[in-house]
Amino acid sequence: MADDQFDAALDLLRRLNPKHTTQNVSHICSLVPSLEEELLASVDQPLEVRRCKKTGRDYLLCDYNRDGDSYRSPWSNEFEPEIEGAEVPTEKVRKMEVKANEAFDVYRELYYEGGISSVYFWSLDDGFAGVVLLKKSSSPSSRASGVWDSIHVLEVQDRGRLAHYKLTSTVILNLGSQAEALGEMDLSGNMTRQVTADLAVDGGAEGEGHVINVGKMVEDMESKMRNLLQEVYFGKAKDVVGDLRSN
Amino acid sequence: MVTKSETVSSFVQAAPPGELSNVVEDIKALAPSEVRSLEPAFKKYNEEQYTTVKVSGSSQTVIVSSYNVLDDGRYFDTASQTSFEVDHSSQTALSAQSHTLDSRNADAIQSLLKAFSAAATEHFPSSTVGVYPTDSDSSIAILLVANKYSPQNFWNGRWRSTYLFDPSSKSVSGTVKVDVHYYEDGNVRMSTSKKVEASSSSVEGIVREIAKAENKFQEELNRAFSTLAEGSFKGLRRQLPVTRQRVEWEKIAGYRLGQDIGGGRSKS
Repeated sequence: MADDQFDAALDLLRRLNPKHTTQNVSHICSLVPSLEEELLASVDQPLEVRRCKKTGRDYLLCDYNRDGDSYRSPWSNEFEPEIEGAEVPTEKVRKMEVKANEAFDVYRELYYEGGISSVYFWSLDDGFAGVVLLKKSSSPSSRASGVWDSIHVLEVQDRGRLAHYKLTSTVILNLGSQAEALGEMDLSGNMTRQVTADLAVDGGAEGEGHVINVGKMVEDMESKMRNLLQEVYFGKAKDVVGDLRSN
Repeated sequence: MVTKSETVSSFVQAAPPGELSNVVEDIKALAPSEVRSLEPAFKKYNEEQYTTVKVSGSSQTVIVSSYNVLDDGRYFDTASQTSFEVDHSSQTALSAQSHTLDSRNADAIQSLLKAFSAAATEHFPSSTVGVYPTDSDSSIAILLVANKYSPQNFWNGRWRSTYLFDPSSKSVSGTVKVDVHYYEDGNVRMSTSKKVEASSSSVEGIVREIAKAENKFQEELNRAFSTLAEGSFKGLRRQLPVTRQRVEWEKIAGYRLGQDIGGGRSKS
């Protein structure tokens, strides 16, 4: 019964306007409160931003760096607001996390020329898991607006010389335009893709090998998704309008 | 505090074109006790989305809207001069009867209907048109709805035009709304709403002006797709860095030169 309700909730969220995902999740939870935890963990929503008090840098929030109402900054590795006995990654994982945040900071600047990035890792029995987050908002203008959110969830299993990587990526893209001749136009949505790979992990005391592999996979995935989004948002949507009425 | 009833009703209103039944199935699973009280929500949805029904006595499908509802809750069709009941949850028409159009603008209405229906076929592969006197009988409402459903390809679309024609000032004002949903491995929604104004001294003129305005709107819409692609979208994330090369991960994440590979340290 609970499974059916969870599936129905996911289906409903795929039908309703993606612009209102946050409110829709909240409405569904008001109907079936027991779904709240699972929904919040599985439904991708636009990322919230906080400023790290220690370093002054912005970071992104998600379930994976949350403990109660506090969030861990990837820059300071501290929870804000402070909490007693909070769980932080092991030293080994933290070293790799630091490397990943540095690397993705460079990646972010090269592709997004602005925006915010955050990477969070945690250990698993036979490897580690993590999330790479990126967010960019276009400079607000009266005519057009846009927000891009990338959420890459990965699971890595050590298998001797090779490691098995599973990457599930969601991009949330909301665009809006307001022009005299056009009126109001809203193009919002999200798309998800998944990929797995078995890759050799080059040595390195601070997990460089994994960071390199993850970096390449995320870069590949984002490039593919950017093309897919372009196709769907500006190709498919336009085609459907053309099918409805021909000029 | 929003009630459960208001919540499920809002889900119905927000259903994408062609997917109302899917949304209702989801509501049945999430709040089964609310399903039996959805009739008003279905009525509101049908009237806003210009749901079309088959009415016996009419060769064309007929629009359901707030413009062609009668005092007793039945609806009427101008073209076939019939009135009918609507079962809103099944979106079907029942107990059709003959119904004479009662309006001081009856002649203009029939001319507009003929001209608008003919013009619609020039631009819309498939559409349903309706022309009705408005409440106060001082204006004429001109409606059009066009749907394209392709659920096997995970997309659906709807175009709705709503115009109010004032026979005394010969002016027309209205809105065009387009709603597109694409949901293969995701959920993408395009919705746009545009106000339209026109005027002409003749019925044919009005119909021509409307078509012109809609052509212009569609051109603008196509242009907007390109503008968003070249502007906002590109401004969010480049296809490639300025260097036109992919990221060299070994460099940015890899070994510090000379540090780990035995030998002395060196600052690069």
